[in-house]
Amino acid sequence: MSDSVSHAAVIGRCERCESPLERGDLRCAICGMSAPHTRDMEEVLSIQVLRCEGCGAAVAYDAAIGAPNCSFCGSVMRMDELVDPPEQTGGYLPFRVDRAEAQARLKKWLGSRGFFRPKDLASRSRLESLKPLFWVGWVFDAEAEVTWTADSNLGSRRSSWAPHSGATSMVFDNLLVSASRGLSSAEVDAVSGSYELNDLESAPHSAPPDSVDLEIALVESFDVQRSLARRRIVKAIEMTAAARVEHSHVPGSRCRNVHTSVLLEKLVTRRLSFPAWVLAYRYDGKLYRAVISGQDASSMTGTSPFSYARLFMVLGIVAAVVAAVSLAASLS
Amino acid sequence: MTSATVDDTPQLEVQCRDCGATLTMPAHTFAALCPYCASPSVVDRPADRDGFRRDRPDFILGFDITHEEATRRVEAWIHRSRLFAPSAIKQAKVTKVQGVYLPAWLYGGVARSQFEARIGENYTTTETYTTTDSKGNTVMRTRTVTKTEYRSLSGDHAAYVLDVIVTASKGLGNEELETIEPFDLRAMRRYDAAVVSGWAAEEATLSRDEGFQAGRSEAMQKVERKLNSFLPGDSSQLVDFSTVFSEENTDLVLLPIYVFAARYGAGERLRILVNGQTGEVQGKVPTSAVKVAVAVLIGIVVVASIVLGLMGASA
Repeated sequence: MSDSVSHAAVIGRCERCESPLERGDLRCAICGMSAPHTRDMEEVLSIQVLRCEGCGAAVAYDAAIGAPNCSFCGSVMRMDELVDPPEQTGGYLPFRVDRAEAQARLKKWLGSRGFFRPKDLASRSRLESLKPLFWVGWVFDAEAEVTWTADSNLGSRRSSWAPHSGATSMVFDNLLVSASRGLSSAEVDAVSGSYELNDLESAPHSAPPDSVDLEIALVESFDVQRSLARRRIVKAIEMTAAARVEHSHVPGSRCRNVHTSVLLEKLVTRRLSFPAWVLAYRYDGKLYRAVISGQDASSMTGTSPFSYARLFMVLGIVAAVVAAVSLAASLS
Repeated sequence: MTSATVDDTPQLEVQCRDCGATLTMPAHTFAALCPYCASPSVVDRPADRDGFRRDRPDFILGFDITHEEATRRVEAWIHRSRLFAPSAIKQAKVTKVQGVYLPAWLYGGVARSQFEARIGENYTTTETYTTTDSKGNTVMRTRTVTKTEYRSLSGDHAAYVLDVIVTASKGLGNEELETIEPFDLRAMRRYDAAVVSGWAAEEATLSRDEGFQAGRSEAMQKVERKLNSFLPGDSSQLVDFSTVFSEENTDLVLLPIYVFAARYGAGERLRILVNGQTGEVQGKVPTSAVKVAVAVLIGIVVVASIVLGLMGASA
């Protein structure tokens, strides 16, 4: 799968952990193995001359600029490409939910918010805005050799804890890490399961599709550089691995002090833009927000007003019942 | 690379390609400025006459700190009083020294370990004890005490060991290099003569094999630290471990360093290093025997007076 989604930027695979190397990578971001110095990379490194291109004078590296600089005419030599390029999206997933559907979904959702919401929530809410959004995230596949230790209640003697250790191999498939600034992590969690990731190879759009009204669409970009992105991804994998160890590998029913060491291999990352509808609605003069997945309208999340009137009503009833029961008890 | 050792090292004569002047430079450097026309020369020698295969640098970290900034930091560092340093240090004259690219080996690999450890798991228990109460009667009381049960644990640990930096220069040892680490390796570029241009750069004088051995032994220490923090329990002790390294690599990287020589007192020398990327300043400041002696004396007097005071109070 990786090969079909990989863009031209992938120049080969790491000899040690088999993670793809991208153009500009000096070393593998996962295991630190140095990348082979291929012809491909040599073309990027163009400047080897130590003469100023402007006046022919000798040129020296200037620490203040971080590049070679001619002291005679002041021109700065361009160095090889940026070592740490900003992340760019590799494709846009298509919208499968249109505007009308999103609007209808909000109405239905407002009507099903449960007892503690105002009764007239669905009828009195006014839609303020409904915007298509492309939020960004990383999707990765990886394999890992995970070693762990932990204390668990299994095998304990006088103390409630006994030490355990183990080793296991794990496969991570289509794990999603958000890079969005616009959506909260709770909002991302609510919609992230709804996207068709396997369908990607067939049609990843290289630009936001025309079907979307780009005039009003919010198109997020990854505001992070590659090195930071990889650190966040590796951290996410380590957290996922630790959670899996805790839930399915440590024996016994309770555990503590879970330590994991993750030897990551074959990490393939895709940078994607995910479609979503962001809705703002007004109820009783206040604004509330909801997010609907752009691929599956049933997957949504949002905030809605809370009816204190109904809460107090319930509390009042409960108090009355308690009072009546205790009164009856004292009378008998 | 130190001014002290330059005199007795073999010199290399290179012709400046701009003005034709002959410049001499220490044989273990490969970049220099022409003293006549200030043209930077970067020498690329395939191999030495003695047959020692020269390793071409793989990567380079460029200078971020300018010479002026480094000088300012060193002066500030000297001015900050060191408690046990000779007073003459404060008046030390800082002689300017060119920034130098120091060769270092960058080691990495996969470390698979098996360990044996002793894990302490705490538990609380109540015990009875006898004591005398305020009326002088012997009574039985109970108290809660925390005890530790020791269990043995063996297991595996697998991890990458990355970014182990060991010196490739005989002129600057590992301990000294470690004082100005870390370097941010994300700013590393593939070796490019343009980044060296105008600066001094040293050849690797420790071979790749020596770098590999040193890197591996430092990696072993890293593994031990990792294992120690890998163990569960309320307390733990690593009893034994064995590590197999595989898929190792060593790359030659040039690190940006300013070396300052300072003179003070009667011709005493002090070497101060500045990390050319982060500006971290470190130097081995000698301790003044006089100042230490005075401090020890003061300590003795203070302790003695406290002890005497207590004895007086109890008497």
